[in-house]
Amino acid sequence: MAAQQEGCIAMPVISINRKYLYGLIGKGMDDRKFSEYISKLGFAVEAVGEEDIAVEITANRLDLLDAVGLARTIKNFMHKSRRFHYEIEDEEPALEITVDKSVAAVRPFISAVAAFGVEMSDDLVLNLINFSEKFCETYGRNRRKIAMGFHDLDRIKGPLIYRSAGDIEFAPLGHRSKMKFSKVLETEEKGKQYGGAIRDEVRQFYPALSDSEGPIAFIPILNSERTRITPSTRNVFVDITGVSEYAVNKVTELLAAIFIDLGARTRRVKINYDGKTVLSPVMAKRYMTIPIKRAELEIGVGIGYNNIISLANKMGYEAGMVGNDIRFCIPEYRLDVIDEQDVIEDIAIGYGYEYINPLPIQYSQPGRLETKTEFNRRASDIMIGLGFSECTNSYLTNAQNNFAKAGIEGANAILLKNSNTESITMLRTWLLPSLLGNLGQSGHESMPQGIFEVDLAFEERMGRPVESNRLAFVSVNPKANFNDSKAAVEGLLYALGIDYTVSGSGHKAFIEGRCAKITVGGADVGFFGELHPEVLKNFGIEEAGIALELVLDSLYPKNQT
Amino acid sequence: MHEGVSVHRYESSVLDALKKSGKSSLSELVSASGIGRDEVMWALENLKEKGMVSISYEESGRISLSKEGKEYAKDGLPEELLVKNLVKGSLKAADLDGSQRIGLQWGKKLGLIDIDGGMLRLTAEGRRAATAGIAMGDLLRSISKNPDDIRTAMHDGSLLTELSRRGLVEVRKQSVISSVELTGEGRKHVDKEDTDLIEEVDRAVISSGSWKTHGLKKYDVMVDVERQVPAMKHPLKRLIDKLKDAYVGMGYTEISGPAVESSFWVFDSLFVPQDHPARDAQDTFYVSNLKNENFGKLAYVNTVKKAHKKGWHFEWREDIAGQMLLRTHTTSVSSRYLYKIIDALKKNPEDYTLPIKLFSVGRVFRNETVDYRHLADFYQHDGMVIGRNLTLSNLFDELTKLYGSLGVKIKFKPSYFPFVEPGVEFMAYYEGRDEWIELGGAGMIREEITGVSRKKISVLAWGPGLDRTMLIKDRSISNISELYNNGVGWLRSRRVV
Repeated sequence: MAAQQEGCIAMPVISINRKYLYGLIGKGMDDRKFSEYISKLGFAVEAVGEEDIAVEITANRLDLLDAVGLARTIKNFMHKSRRFHYEIEDEEPALEITVDKSVAAVRPFISAVAAFGVEMSDDLVLNLINFSEKFCETYGRNRRKIAMGFHDLDRIKGPLIYRSAGDIEFAPLGHRSKMKFSKVLETEEKGKQYGGAIRDEVRQFYPALSDSEGPIAFIPILNSERTRITPSTRNVFVDITGVSEYAVNKVTELLAAIFIDLGARTRRVKINYDGKTVLSPVMAKRYMTIPIKRAELEIGVGIGYNNIISLANKMGYEAGMVGNDIRFCIPEYRLDVIDEQDVIEDIAIGYGYEYINPLPIQYSQPGRLETKTEFNRRASDIMIGLGFSECTNSYLTNAQNNFAKAGIEGANAILLKNSNTESITMLRTWLLPSLLGNLGQSGHESMPQGIFEVDLAFEERMGRPVESNRLAFVSVNPKANFNDSKAAVEGLLYALGIDYTVSGSGHKAFIEGRCAKITVGGADVGFFGELHPEVLKNFGIEEAGIALELVLDSLYPKNQT
Repeated sequence: MHEGVSVHRYESSVLDALKKSGKSSLSELVSASGIGRDEVMWALENLKEKGMVSISYEESGRISLSKEGKEYAKDGLPEELLVKNLVKGSLKAADLDGSQRIGLQWGKKLGLIDIDGGMLRLTAEGRRAATAGIAMGDLLRSISKNPDDIRTAMHDGSLLTELSRRGLVEVRKQSVISSVELTGEGRKHVDKEDTDLIEEVDRAVISSGSWKTHGLKKYDVMVDVERQVPAMKHPLKRLIDKLKDAYVGMGYTEISGPAVESSFWVFDSLFVPQDHPARDAQDTFYVSNLKNENFGKLAYVNTVKKAHKKGWHFEWREDIAGQMLLRTHTTSVSSRYLYKIIDALKKNPEDYTLPIKLFSVGRVFRNETVDYRHLADFYQHDGMVIGRNLTLSNLFDELTKLYGSLGVKIKFKPSYFPFVEPGVEFMAYYEGRDEWIELGGAGMIREEITGVSRKKISVLAWGPGLDRTMLIKDRSISNISELYNNGVGWLRSRRVV
């Protein structure tokens, strides 16, 4: 659940012209107010620049990746707007698209909407292009799942056909002269950018949306220069293609809502699939009926009927009482509302998390640590008592550190398939190399130096992962010898109450004849002794050293269920 | 020198030794003080600084004999032997052997022997030397007996030089303390000190009670000593211990689960769609040499399959779910237990007293480009409450109390994670930067995951990282990757906070 921490899975950040955005919201909007509302909704203003404002949106709210959607949501939240329904005004389809079955194997679905009387401007053109980029990169999974294109409807000489066109020619955005699709992939920025997985499919099929004069789009790469939208465009055509019929239809509804909010008159597009015809967008009404008690119970506050309807409106839902329940109408642009739980969250957001008072859970059971945690703590306490300082090392390593430097053959490591870091190729199979690495960088500190670690190591056995809890120590000082290691090991095992035997053994990390193993209940659980000078040297340690590696799992008391 | 100046134990011993005579040689001082020569030297340096003693130095050294010198010291110098021979009878110059020739050379030089017509003859001086010996020989023999007594040897400097020139001795000189004298200040100090004050509290002192009559000597408490370095628990492990204790104190039971895990428990069971970017190889470590997990007859797979179909409109694929990876969050542990408990509750609802509170702490992994600031594995903890009619306000209460017991103040805002609804992000006030920083996510687990309506079972869950809490708790740590470096100097410079 820390998925969004440390910027690893970045939430989408959109950059929008402030003046344009605040203009859409209406009078009186400023940076301070905007930031306040946006954070109440669960988002954040990342940066405020001279021209633009950067807003971080959670990955579910795709309807907020453009200025129009964002303005709509803020206006609702401020109770400044009461538009809850988005409907296609004109039933007569504006255009027809025939889907050839040649796209079935690569990108089978297309959806579209036409908008008339759009008051286009530089700001709006930029907003639509930025939205399209951000949307297709995030929800569209870098255009694999969804791609969209905006066209000047008046330049299209319909009807349209969507098919695998082969490596044909067209004049792509930014060019007057024609070039082949294959050349677009090689030389155009978008062609190069959306390579990868898409590229192979694209190279094989070259999907294209064409009118009677040729391609208006090389899908999902680039539109034609001929149908480019400009500030003087009045009528807009949007195509959405993808691999999920559900997704292309829902995204088209989201786009229709944007144009409806802009005051345009929208018309459907007729899509002729092989064997079925779809009028896009569908814009079917969705309703959910939720008992008010349920909402109150899940949030943990008393809200009341009147209030809950006002909160619903604030969050963009039309709501009304049906018997003892509340019926919510789900806005067409909300792709993320799966069921009642999602609506209840919106009620909670509308209510304000800051006003939800913490309420204690009635509970009276005692808590408990795992047996191994308690054992590990005892072991750590004893090691500290013996004068060793505790370490915490990464589980990730490479064969050089884990095996070669320690003088042993590599075996049974769990290997990583796709590390972004060259020095990280596997999980550690034991702890000693980590500790030797720690001391190798500490030669300038006074002697003796004793460190230990209690943590996990990992091995591959028969194709399955095996984790082991281990304790290891290393101590270096000019007078260290085998007897010191034995003294420390016996001190540890005695204090832990372990019934053990020690016998001579051999391990390549240790000097021959100065290494012993520990046997508990008939099983070998660890080894210790005086480290081999070659190993010390490999890790950059300049004084004599002793060490222990002990597997703890079989030592844990067996009294927990 | 002002009153009450304190002296070290060694200094005190030296002052004691000087007290009676007021002046003493170094060797007398060493034996009288009862401490070692090095300790006396160290104490004298300090006492000189404090103006309590004055020190006189003298030339000193050691004379060593060469191999030839040793032979001559034993048998006599060649000229001495020749003179003795000549007392018995004269010798022909032509008959002399090697050693005798050297004797002749020096005999002539010292005026002991003459040559007359090819025959050697003693002078009057030579006859005297035959009975009384010669000074150079005497000196050589005396040096041989007392090599340290350089003063006697130096008494006749020219003779010593001559011996040295002949290659019979080697002289090494140095400046040494000849005597140490108590100054007026030193005397004042000594007079003030009770000579009988006890320094070392040994068994005899304790059992006899002698300190009652003699009193105990004072120490210079301002003396610099080397700081002792304690062995310590690692700061991160200390925080983990504290966190676990906080959980247990609130009635939570600890659980754990595999770090090398299938996509199923990390993603699919948590309603993360199969095309979610978090699953990309760019962000998540996949492993290359493990078999895919096989879910066999796990009935829960159908719940997951249904949920994905409903929520994400995709055909759910078991082969994708079976891929093995390094878990990206410990919520996979919660997920495994949640499944087990829900399954058991369905079969025997009476077996459990709800709510059930569980927590886990463990390492999670991100396919980061690792450098001195960025890590690819770090700690996370997960908490979960399974019960009836649990609320968002309950969640806020649990988290506020948990973090409160760590001394961290938190607040909540809406957020989104695929597996919770409502979703929550909680933030902590970070005094060091005077801002609220994100700690992690929380929420109420979706019904799609439990497969049971919330009317029957509701689940609260959270899964924040530990690193930022560490930064808030220990301001001496500026960067989280420090925690995994374990340099001995760093470990030794930690404070327990």
